[in-house]
Amino acid sequence: MLLITLLFIVSFSKETNQTVLNSQDTVELKLVEVYSAPLDKYSFGQSLQKIDSRDLNEFQGQTLADLLQQRSGLFLRQYGAGMLASLTMRGTSAGHNAVFWNGIPINSPSLGQADFSILPVGGFDEATIHYGSSGALYGTDAIGGAIHLNNKSTFNKGHQTRVASTVGSFGRWNQLVEYGYSNGFYSSRSRVYRNTSKNNFKFRNLARAGSPEERQNNAAIEQIGAIQDLAWNIGANQQLSTSIWWNQTDRQIQPVMGSNDKDRQEDRNFRAVLDYNKFTTSAIWNIKTGVVLDQLQFNNSINKTSQFLLSSDIDWTISEKLKSKSGLRFNHVIGNLSSYEATEDRLELYQSINFLPSPSLSFSVNLRQMIFNGDFAPFTPSIGSEWTFFKNNKSTLSTHSSLSKSFKIPTLNDRFWVPGGNPDLESEESISAEIGLIHVFDNKRFFISSQINIYNMWVDNWIIWLPRGNFWSPENIREVRNQGLEYFITAKKTFNLTQLEFNGSYNWTLATILNTISENDRSEGNQLPYTPFHKAQGNLRLTHKTNTAFINGYWVGERYINTDNISSVAAYGILDIGFSKSLTFISKVKASVGFQVNNITNNDYQVLRLRAMPGRNYLINFNLSL
Amino acid sequence: MKNLRFFGHLLALSLFIYSCDGSKVERPLGEYEKGLLIINEGNFTPRDGDVSHYNFNTGEIQQNIFEKVNNRPFAGLVQDLIEYEDYFYLVANTGKVEIINKNTFESLGSVEGEELNIPRSAIIADNKIYIADWGPYNASFSNPESFIAIVSNVTGGVVSKKIETSSRPEKLHRINNDILIACTAARKIDVLGIGDDAISKSIEIPGTPAEFLELDGKLLLFSRTSSSVFFHEIDKNDYSIVNTTEINIPNPTSNLASGENGEAYIITRDGSNNSISKISITTGQIINANFFEGSGFYGIGYDKIDKYIYVADNNGFQGSGTVIVVNQNGEEVKKITSGAAPSGFVFKR
Repeated sequence: MLLITLLFIVSFSKETNQTVLNSQDTVELKLVEVYSAPLDKYSFGQSLQKIDSRDLNEFQGQTLADLLQQRSGLFLRQYGAGMLASLTMRGTSAGHNAVFWNGIPINSPSLGQADFSILPVGGFDEATIHYGSSGALYGTDAIGGAIHLNNKSTFNKGHQTRVASTVGSFGRWNQLVEYGYSNGFYSSRSRVYRNTSKNNFKFRNLARAGSPEERQNNAAIEQIGAIQDLAWNIGANQQLSTSIWWNQTDRQIQPVMGSNDKDRQEDRNFRAVLDYNKFTTSAIWNIKTGVVLDQLQFNNSINKTSQFLLSSDIDWTISEKLKSKSGLRFNHVIGNLSSYEATEDRLELYQSINFLPSPSLSFSVNLRQMIFNGDFAPFTPSIGSEWTFFKNNKSTLSTHSSLSKSFKIPTLNDRFWVPGGNPDLESEESISAEIGLIHVFDNKRFFISSQINIYNMWVDNWIIWLPRGNFWSPENIREVRNQGLEYFITAKKTFNLTQLEFNGSYNWTLATILNTISENDRSEGNQLPYTPFHKAQGNLRLTHKTNTAFINGYWVGERYINTDNISSVAAYGILDIGFSKSLTFISKVKASVGFQVNNITNNDYQVLRLRAMPGRNYLINFNLSL
Repeated sequence: MKNLRFFGHLLALSLFIYSCDGSKVERPLGEYEKGLLIINEGNFTPRDGDVSHYNFNTGEIQQNIFEKVNNRPFAGLVQDLIEYEDYFYLVANTGKVEIINKNTFESLGSVEGEELNIPRSAIIADNKIYIADWGPYNASFSNPESFIAIVSNVTGGVVSKKIETSSRPEKLHRINNDILIACTAARKIDVLGIGDDAISKSIEIPGTPAEFLELDGKLLLFSRTSSSVFFHEIDKNDYSIVNTTEINIPNPTSNLASGENGEAYIITRDGSNNSISKISITTGQIINANFFEGSGFYGIGYDKIDKYIYVADNNGFQGSGTVIVVNQNGEEVKKITSGAAPSGFVFKR
């Protein structure tokens, strides 16, 4: 039935979202931009959302976790302010989303997930959220969705310098300095940053008799990093580009309320990527090589992983109506963990096809097969479609749908941790179907775009660590059904020099446990822990000439702390306000100053149980570019 | 209308009778004075330890009674619950001891802050609280700075003195004017003199000491290895071991409940297969090695009134647990829903 529906419900090309270049334009545009493969090209039927560049500016030096929590409908499990933050997409677990930096996967191969609290805003130029199961496009982990972080360099801009500073409450000082030079053939950009916070906010300690107000102890953060981007236009139709990112985060680990722990964590992350692109009138050939070195030291326990990646693909424009991308990716993984050592080779073959039978109808088919250490991961196909069924000079109505399979191979820790690692684990698997509707109205003075997605996903072989005698061991034991709804709205009203804009989103998520793990387990039919049923977020922005004021709010519904669904962490809502002004001194010297008050109502809240979060706090931003 | 007036008279009369009845000097029963208290250690990440109350008469279960009474979460992992006079001492291995009214569960005080690390148990003597604490972990996850913390007020306050122990202190027992400390890592009993508050001697013990028992007027120390359990009879004057009963049982845990006539029930754990072994301490024999079987067994208790064995199932630390009530024939009688990671019982009959 779903297939029949899919055949009928199809939709339109995403020209409104398409800010990256189309393959047809590449020959012309490659001279002014460093090319990166458009993320949404083979994803008809699914939704991608690019994080607003103004949000990136306002969060300069803060964590990507904070940005996504405050400015998107996604929920992040934050273990305190600036502490470990894992993302849950469409009701899946922390490891069920893939994270890419300039096209290379950066989820830790030992933990199987990324810590969004050590990805600083400012360490990349663009962030894009891919909602929903996308394993056929991206490989392992992308069960609930994917996050893409990209650097975006340009040619022909001459000398460029940027300084961005943020100071704020609790000893926050974020500083970034950037210098770049580019001409028609060569582009270079260097960035260094340092983000620090004492993080000694006040909170009500619920774990102590009388719940006294205390200052948070042992939660200071210091992060430094450097980024180098280089690109060359080699001849008329070839380009070479590279990005290198060194990031170092030293943290005192904020203890759970009532604990006197004095843990420390030091993360060292080195990532480098080199791309070669050759452009012809009908094809783009890409060779990508990358390295990701991660070191995580928790107190005296050191865990290191290395990934060496080589991939190549050809993106053909066979005809106006048919496009194809074929490729392979090889990843050599080395794990030197505190309790074991392991290596792994991962080979992936993938094929993507776009079929556009008419300007209003598009299909994507994606296929992927991964082999890891000689074992076949589940074969992963997906099919999606978009259909614009109504269009006039002001309104467009379109619908999209997709059916996709995804998977996550067991992490190195799942398989090899001593004691308890289980080498016989199978990959986690999901099947997902979604359908959506987009309406866009634009009469030049008023623009409104709204989108609704409804999905239904089934995840099996979900890995859970369970006590087995004297140690814990992981098993493919849980089965979960994820259903939900995502709603996005953008509205803009323009009056002469004034613009009023609203961006909002709402997520309704049901993540239902379908089975029990033992005779006395009562979790069947219950919601997964720390998965809110509801999250809503909205940002209202008023711009008049060079002045901007915004009010941002988000609300997260209650989260159960266990699979028994008895105790929960209370729902909370946070309101932030801000004001900024842009200044132009001489034609090429631009500056902006901003002032923000976060959590203006001084709400006492926790994201996860007994993990204190800060009350009202202040930020002042200053940006200068010349 | 007449009926209504008659009902009014009846109501007035009943109020009068009730008020006469209430004039007797009789303390109202505290809500949690009678019944079964289930100690729920709690799961590590959410720190959701608390106590459940089960009413033997109505079968009603109340979860998280500390939080319910005090309007705040206990916020810790409950390692032990100690009774002394009108108080309960809830010992959290996450770094605090809360003192509550044992009948109402109202918080009366606490010992908390930087002074405690990993408290395991406590005992009250000489109007002071003696808290067994493993001390902080070092890089190799051992605890070289274990101690007994002394608090000079039975309702809590600051730690006035710390006394180093020979290794991780676990259960405590008061005898004469001394406190015997079961030190697990070093397999010793440390003897702490009450008053001078110093360790006077240490006695080596075969097996890892788990807890002290009294049986037929004798003081016993239960200890174990991976293949045996030991019941050491301790001389009540010089604390030397005068007699040892060894019973060969594979994979015994420290969870033991004393039954009738010198019998005891002990949880054994072989991988994910758990058993209750019924043994006789008196004869040194195994009565039934597989008296009751299952998985996730995390605590055990014995109710001397109905002679049932209460087995706590932690459900793999995935959400709340279950208490399985087992009769003398090893048959399941009923199940009671508990909080997270149930680990022990207090029977208030």
